[in-house]
Amino acid sequence: MRTRAAVSAALASAGILIAGWQSGLHVADTGSSVASAAAGSTGSSGSSGTSGSAGASGSSGSSSSSSAGGTTGASAKAVGTYAGSVVQTRFGSVQVQITVQAGKITDVTALQLTDAERKSVQISNRAAPLLRTEVLAAQSADVQTISGATVTSDAYLNSLQAALDAANL
Amino acid sequence: MQPTSELVGPALRARTFGSMGTVISLTVPAGAVPGAAGGEAKLDAATAAVERVFAGLDETFSLYRPDSEASRLARGELCLRDSSAGMRDRYADALTWRLRTEGAFSPERPDGVLDLSGLIKGYAIGQAGEALRSRGITDWCLNAGGDVLVTGSPVPGSGASWAAGVVDPLDRSALLAAYELGGPGTRCALATSGSAERGDHIWAAGFGARTAGSSGAEFVQVSVAAANIVTADVLATAIVAGGTAMLHRATDGWEIDVLAVRRGGELLATPGFRA
Amino acid sequence: MNTQLLTNRPGVRRSSGGAVNPFRAQYRRRLLRADLLTVLFWASLAGAIALWLADGGAAGFSTPAGSFTALGIVAGLAGMDLVLLMLLLAARIPLIDQTVGHDRALEFHRKLGKPALYLLLAHGILIAIGYGMAEGLDPVSESVALWVLVPDMWLAYISMLLFIAVVVTSLVAVRRRFPYEFWYAVHLLTYAAVLTSLPHQFSVGGLFAEGTWQRWYWLALCIATGAALLYYRVVQPLVATFRHQLTVKRVVRVAPGVVSIEMSGLRLDELAGSGGRFFIWRFLAPGLWWHPHPFSLSAEPVRFDAAGQGTLRITVRNLGRGSSQLASLKPGTKVAVEGPYGLFSTAARSRNHVVMVGAGIGITPVRALLESTPFQPGNATVILRGHSESELYLGEEILDLCRRRGATLFHLTGSRPAGIRTWLPEHAARAGHRLASYHPNITDADVYVCGPSAWAHNVLEDARAAGVREDQIHYERFDW
Repeated sequence: MRTRAAVSAALASAGILIAGWQSGLHVADTGSSVASAAAGSTGSSGSSGTSGSAGASGSSGSSSSSSAGGTTGASAKAVGTYAGSVVQTRFGSVQVQITVQAGKITDVTALQLTDAERKSVQISNRAAPLLRTEVLAAQSADVQTISGATVTSDAYLNSLQAALDAANL
Repeated sequence: MQPTSELVGPALRARTFGSMGTVISLTVPAGAVPGAAGGEAKLDAATAAVERVFAGLDETFSLYRPDSEASRLARGELCLRDSSAGMRDRYADALTWRLRTEGAFSPERPDGVLDLSGLIKGYAIGQAGEALRSRGITDWCLNAGGDVLVTGSPVPGSGASWAAGVVDPLDRSALLAAYELGGPGTRCALATSGSAERGDHIWAAGFGARTAGSSGAEFVQVSVAAANIVTADVLATAIVAGGTAMLHRATDGWEIDVLAVRRGGELLATPGFRA
Repeated sequence: MNTQLLTNRPGVRRSSGGAVNPFRAQYRRRLLRADLLTVLFWASLAGAIALWLADGGAAGFSTPAGSFTALGIVAGLAGMDLVLLMLLLAARIPLIDQTVGHDRALEFHRKLGKPALYLLLAHGILIAIGYGMAEGLDPVSESVALWVLVPDMWLAYISMLLFIAVVVTSLVAVRRRFPYEFWYAVHLLTYAAVLTSLPHQFSVGGLFAEGTWQRWYWLALCIATGAALLYYRVVQPLVATFRHQLTVKRVVRVAPGVVSIEMSGLRLDELAGSGGRFFIWRFLAPGLWWHPHPFSLSAEPVRFDAAGQGTLRITVRNLGRGSSQLASLKPGTKVAVEGPYGLFSTAARSRNHVVMVGAGIGITPVRALLESTPFQPGNATVILRGHSESELYLGEEILDLCRRRGATLFHLTGSRPAGIRTWLPEHAARAGHRLASYHPNITDADVYVCGPSAWAHNVLEDARAAGVREDQIHYERFDW
């Protein structure tokens, strides 16, 4: 009977492990791993979602085998977006995506960030560098109101808002 | 004065008045206030109500009026314990905001004086909005010195959003960007804070020792769009004071859109400001 | 001295081995349960690791830092699962007790101690290395950072220290140096160790984060273990104590150093039929209440009336600090009782025949078993071992039972032969007798052995040498 127990236990365990493995394969996994490092080089470098972490070492995010400076792999790729592998840090999983143009990193975006309470951080709404041509363009004729730093009553007279108000009075 | 251009957009009516050292504009669609004859009177009455809200708060909280409660507090004639419920409530709000922004927004000036003006304008706008709603006016746009709160649509019933333009801090006669408020989106408030502005409630921030004034500030202007005008107002102030770190904390912790202008003119913006 | 051979009543034949075995079904069910428990044991370990696999954890092996972290997480999951299993083994769950016996469960529990600790230590070290590598810190700095920066981690470190203390004091070498009470107090720290380890499992690392199904599974596991412990170790004993209202009636001196304690109580019919199973007795008198005694009944409970009121009896010897005070128990002392536990009963039967071997105070459960276990006349043999006749406690009662039920009785008195390892007295050993001599059909018998452990091991060896299989041997250990 001991054989029966051993065999059943082995089969059951193997089955459970395989089921877990299979189910894990469906979990979204990373894209091609990034060879270059440069954590927080240009742009926002805002990948440290760790409130309370004293130093910048918290979840630098880029793939683990960081080496300073771009590696040959990265510079060979002129243009593209690359997602790093998911790194387990003490705060949770971190994954970063970089955009490379002409061999330089022009954007760093966090794809996965968790804060100290292990909550997923709102990363899709981060402020990123924007060119003036990329904002929603505005002509004073198209808007109904103007937002700007508070002006004194005197400065108001020369303001765009005054023009709009005058048109509607 | 800017030459007035042909109005191509929706037909609007506006009223303005001065309060809190700046100018408040109330804009409503032409058909928003029902009845041709009674309509104008109703608009005037509504404007008067809004003006009363602002005046009342200004009377209590303005540090430029020597007889306001805030000034008496500042002079030490009154202690906080004996102040009015309204004063204490707003102070409590300000303290909560200080906690949430980790010190970037603070109601206390370096000299120890309690200055709630950073909070009061937004609060006033919110109260005024309540007054307008209670009068049954469902589409309006209220602009108090550059902070905007809207309800409804410039073309009533159409679902179109109000469009607010953001001033270019480097050229105040030009617009940097536009932002759609109200309508289908959740954001109906837009507040802009600048480091070269009236109202010095952007003194040295909680973290990163920065000298008061514009010399050390990272951002020269920050516009925040949120669902709530006080939130937008406070966060805009906090981000100017707290720099990039506060910017990220704000976008992480609140459902907002931000357009921040660096000293060199570069822009940082959340996707909502993108074309 | 002499070997007395008491034969069966005349006219009764020993039955042959071809008779139908009424215990076969019961035996097969018990083996099935045992196998099921084995499968559950390994499946739970596999399950703990599968939780992590299902979360995509295997992807962590793509980087060196990730590999360390992944191994560390797996070690932690396996370690905690083992700890929960250890707790369940010690919880006195009836299913486990009736399948493998409480003493074997505890033996297994003890064996799991060191592997569990090693896994937990590995968990801590590997994760410090892994997280550290991901952030460019050495393991020590990373551990400090974890303590300082991450909520609930300081509790996890305390938990680790408590586990180490518990396991170290349980090592046999260490345990011997301290009194039992000290060891027991430290062992109770296990509960504190488990509780302090729980918060970080649910808040750090993400596997058991809010919203994951793994969280529910792990929570359910922990809660079920806690509930089992609470119910079977605390609630049930309390209920049993209040239900039976046992009170000491009288203390009778049976032999030098041996007393029978008679207790009266209610609903004693519920305790009937337990055969040689043991209960844990706490006599609620000053100085005695904190000492738990494992004793079996030495006779089936005697019922007075239909309500189940009656008396029961235990027979104990003055061994050890706690037991020696039992002789001076006063009538009227209330008794708290837990149990019955153990497999020294009919539930363990698998064969037609039965051989019961008892020595010293181990004769007590033999007496109880003899009274209740079913057998055909001629199919049972009882062997009592002692230095002299006076050490064969309850001798008259056993003789009477054997006569009534048709069992063969042997009194083996006398000392061991010098220099030879045997369970027999000198004259029997020299005559070349073995266990099978007393019951030729022993391969078709259940063999129950109870007595001092060194002597008992010799009996078991003899039985195995005679061809008796492990599942036919039932040995009750007293010294756990």
